Amino acid sequence: MADVVATGVGLVTSLGATADETAAAWRAGGCALRRPVGEFDGTALAGSETAVLPAFDASARLGGRRMLKFMSDAAVLGCVAAREACSQAATRRRFAPGRVGLFCATGLAAAGVQDVAPLIEQSTDEHGRFSCRLLGERGLPATNPLLSFKILANMPPCLVSIQESIKGPNYIFTPWESQSAAALVEAWQAVAEGEVECAVVGAADSPSNPAAFVFLRQAGLLGADECPADGAAYVVLESAESAARSGQPVLARVDSVDLRPVSSRPCDPLGNRMGRTFAAAPMIWFALACLGCGATAAVAGSSFVCPDYAAPGSRWELRIEARGAA
Amino acid sequence: MNRVGITGFGVVSPIGVAREAFWQSLADGRSGIGPITRFDCSAFSVRLAGEVKERVDLPGDDEIAVVAATAAVAADDPKIGFALAACAEALEQAGIERLTRDTLLHLGVSLEVFDMQKAICGGRPDFRSIAERSMRPGAPPLQIPLDTASRLIAQLFGMPGRSLTNCSACAAGAQAIGHAFRSVRAGRYTAAVCGGLDSMINPLGVGGFQMLGALTTDNARGESACRPFDASRSGTVLGEGAAVVVLEPLDAARAAGKRVLAEVCGYGSTLDAWSLSAPDPEGDGAARAMLAALDDAGIRAEQIAHINAHGTATRVNDEVEAAAIRRVFARTWQRIPVSSTKSMTGHLIAAAGAVEVGACLLALVMKQVPPNPFLNSVGQGCELAHVGHAAVPFDGEYVMSNSFGFGGQNVSLVLRRCDG
Repeated sequence: MADVVATGVGLVTSLGATADETAAAWRAGGCALRRPVGEFDGTALAGSETAVLPAFDASARLGGRRMLKFMSDAAVLGCVAAREACSQAATRRRFAPGRVGLFCATGLAAAGVQDVAPLIEQSTDEHGRFSCRLLGERGLPATNPLLSFKILANMPPCLVSIQESIKGPNYIFTPWESQSAAALVEAWQAVAEGEVECAVVGAADSPSNPAAFVFLRQAGLLGADECPADGAAYVVLESAESAARSGQPVLARVDSVDLRPVSSRPCDPLGNRMGRTFAAAPMIWFALACLGCGATAAVAGSSFVCPDYAAPGSRWELRIEARGAA
Repeated sequence: MNRVGITGFGVVSPIGVAREAFWQSLADGRSGIGPITRFDCSAFSVRLAGEVKERVDLPGDDEIAVVAATAAVAADDPKIGFALAACAEALEQAGIERLTRDTLLHLGVSLEVFDMQKAICGGRPDFRSIAERSMRPGAPPLQIPLDTASRLIAQLFGMPGRSLTNCSACAAGAQAIGHAFRSVRAGRYTAAVCGGLDSMINPLGVGGFQMLGALTTDNARGESACRPFDASRSGTVLGEGAAVVVLEPLDAARAAGKRVLAEVCGYGSTLDAWSLSAPDPEGDGAARAMLAALDDAGIRAEQIAHINAHGTATRVNDEVEAAAIRRVFARTWQRIPVSSTKSMTGHLIAAAGAVEVGACLLALVMKQVPPNPFLNSVGQGCELAHVGHAAVPFDGEYVMSNSFGFGGQNVSLVLRRCDG
């Protein structure tokens, strides 16, 4: 088994639009700004606030606007975080694309209201009912065909693969925290066992999207005192030998990533300060640990207990042993 | 490292519910494609699909509440019921009554069914009203998350050690099987239940693919509308269903007196990193997936004796896949029989790879490879040793199944004959 190290981290969270900003805010004890959800009147919900993302220029960070038209909110966040992580680790320069694996998680499918509104409005009859006939006659012609790319769950990671030229083994798990944690385990194992030379691992989620937000409240997955937060994190993992061979600075040694069943209550250690980022949360937590945030705040050494909605009543504890390079 | 055998297979498809009906239709070249009956598609340009026409009985259980809840969800989202039925059939064949902490459950699934009526208030997507309505006691869920089938399987058949849901589009089912194969081979689980489920035969599913131009509008052709690799192919046809296989360490299964239907021995997974909607025109990603699967199986290309192609019947995909197969099997492609079973089942999207692994498995067991019933004139650039209109006898040792996903995710799996 190879020693695994992290050589790139990218973050877009309610605490900062980059890894450095997020880590600095986390260390300083910062909390996300909250505001009422902007895309609809959420007063009917027990809590209608969402965490505010800092402003950032996605086209500047992705080197152009060409692909943005294909991207959902989650895809934009994921691509920006992946670009930051891959740039830091110089993956394109150092690895053959086929030897880089992509291990991702995505959240609930969530197109923006502005994307689906024309489709729905044109497909509704005079009685306020959805009509298949009107969908065919008016709704589909009035809809941008790119909508399909925004709602297919595999698209955010596929966009990352295109943007970063990643061509190796891959998995995309969905839609909750435990699946994100599983992607992390797969990535770590793939590097440790030599299946890939480099693993780009990450997740993005946009639970503040109206359809997702309402469902999360309805299903009781978001407590009345919790607010949803969009966010993304990507980390580049490789073997210590690979990093040393090319003189690549190491951010952290990742000695183990372990996911095991536990009976303790679910615990998102980021939720109170950052908002609930669901599928992105374990990856953000891991990224912060790789940035050494454990020294000043409870990240490394703590555990992330993920509810497993696919296995009712069970919980997964994600434990990582990550040590800063220093 | 364990060798990994398939000890159970269950399927719900447009050409038959359960193994025997599925295989009989495949062998006879019988298509399950016909007019869409699920919703009024008269104003759509696409009006064909491969629907599951037979009644799918949900597996029973002592816990009536669980079954009732399951039925309610399945009524809203048909793919859930398909997955439960396929899972029950596979587990029964494998002689497994309950999932345990030593087992892995891994299913591929693509897109939530989104009932647009739930998103309409006052003729528009008014989320204030939607929120009010959704929070009332007894309101139906606004979404059915993609892991719902896994959750219900756990409730009905027992809690697995780990439950994974992947959403790798058309490669999802095959990827779930590939991942499960690797996990059992590495000794992480004593059994894996894996496969895929899907149904996009709903207004938004058909409408979305229609907008992308991926589906044929040649509705007059009816059952023969999906014609992979044919010169007159004009797009794919959506199908629906589910397929599940049970994987176990081969030696342990045999020691337990189980019949091992076939061995899974190679898995390759790659990304095109090219385009969201079109494959790499050189077929590089597809070729690398096939080569990776061969390498993983420790065999040479010359040892593959049958290929179940991804074969969607879209203009570009078929040509690219054919070129990739010719490149990988440069010395033998002219004598490897190729079947494209989507011609009969339609494209089951996330379930497609698992259904086609099932077709390969049954080809090995039944010693026949399925026909291409609607392939009349091979398209330019699609030259391969396509099987004709009738099934042909087959006694080869290794077969390959290809699944290439929308978005550029490619999976190839290698299965090996395992008599007894």
